[in-house]
Amino acid sequence: MTAVVDAVAAGAIGDRVWLYSNYHCNLACTYCLTESAPGVARRELGAERLLRAAEQAAGLGFGALGVTGGEPFLLAYLPETLARMADVLPVVALTNATYFSDERLERLSAFAGRPVSLQISLDAAEPDRNDLFRGPESFRRVVEAVPRIVARGIRVRIATTEPAALEPGAMERLCALHRELGVPDEDHVVRPVVRRGRASTNHLGVPVGMAELPPELTITAEGAFWSPFAATVHGRRLDTDLLVTRTTDPLRIPAEAMIRLSEGRPAGDDATLNIR
Amino acid sequence: MARVELIGADQAPLLARPFYAGGDPGVIAAAMAQVPELMEVALPFVGRTLGPTAVDARTKELVILHVSALLGCRYCVAAHTVVAIDTGLDRDEVRALRCEAPLVDVFADERERAVLAWAAAVAATGPVGDDVAAAVRRWCTDAEVVELTLLVTATMLLNRFCTALDLPSAPDTLARLAREGFAAGGSPP
Ligand code: SF4
Repeated sequence: MTAVVDAVAAGAIGDRVWLYSNYHCNLACTYCLTESAPGVARRELGAERLLRAAEQAAGLGFGALGVTGGEPFLLAYLPETLARMADVLPVVALTNATYFSDERLERLSAFAGRPVSLQISLDAAEPDRNDLFRGPESFRRVVEAVPRIVARGIRVRIATTEPAALEPGAMERLCALHRELGVPDEDHVVRPVVRRGRASTNHLGVPVGMAELPPELTITAEGAFWSPFAATVHGRRLDTDLLVTRTTDPLRIPAEAMIRLSEGRPAGDDATLNIR
Repeated sequence: MARVELIGADQAPLLARPFYAGGDPGVIAAAMAQVPELMEVALPFVGRTLGPTAVDARTKELVILHVSALLGCRYCVAAHTVVAIDTGLDRDEVRALRCEAPLVDVFADERERAVLAWAAAVAATGPVGDDVAAAVRRWCTDAEVVELTLLVTATMLLNRFCTALDLPSAPDTLARLAREGFAAGGSPP
């Protein structure tokens, strides 16, 4: 047993290593934790580093990978890279799914037979409400893309971020929609907006710190962080309050630091807030 | 204005947080916090090496202030001029250590001369001469020689760190220097 296997088994750290592939995005959502938008600093990890991190994560005893951004699928090499990562460990990739042209959907065929799932953001069953936070045409593009992705045999999870309390019946309508799109209830996650990045500027969501965020090793081009909700950008500056180490390669160094930090971590509200 | 962002308490990385627990940790810590995994070993190392140890405080301040002056570190010369005065060194001694007067005119004690010669030789480039080594070993135990050597190298680490990053002196240090009649200092001799 490695130290990571022991720590995961004891619930001290999460089983999944998150990788920030990039920070730029085709959207500019009101609550974006990373202030992502088309013109921002890309802070790209690169295909080679993504693959090496996957191999190191498996070697240390982690059980799963997550890829997030920014919008990962803006990177032309991403589908092939995810497929190769999935040969090492199961991967979930987060996407806004507003960027899947026919050609881009075709490239997802690299996932065939591999444990790659896509987590797609959808906040409301009504276009106006969804697009209020995520930008025009987001809703239409997502509801067009999801059934086409599902039809390719790729598992889709729908992630709903609640910027504000939903009106009565809104969640039921959203659940009816995701079922209609081919996504079962067990693949629908609902979480609050975390008050960091642009959400902090716009006074949205719940404030969080180390105690509220489950420890999940998160690698970016500029360091290792406590959680995928920690590697945030505010005022164009990468937040360092939840930075673990600048060293990310070898992955053993931030993994050991995470384990050490988790031992001294105060009890928090991570379970009740469901920030995952 | 420092050449890197000095990290404030609100952005202190997780491994750096203990250093902020007692309030403002100072600019050296605030710069080192950029790389918390190095800070957590480097800062205790320099703190322990420059802090109270088996070698007496006066001897340590002779070494720290003189090496800082030899290396032209404005930040460390300013900070350790104040520490040297508070440790009990007199004005002439401080001036000589700051390379503003000849050491030989001020320091008559053979042991202190040997220590200062050792410190200067360690802080210079190239080999350390046998005569300088023989002199310091006449007055100091092996443990003391090792400690003094670590003290010089830790001081040099700080000197180059503070100089390269152009770390600003604390306003109260500058005010104290002005009251004591010393310039902020830092030009190499
Ligand atoms: S929340 Fe996601 S989709 Fe929206 S701008 Fe940020 S990275 Fe892009």
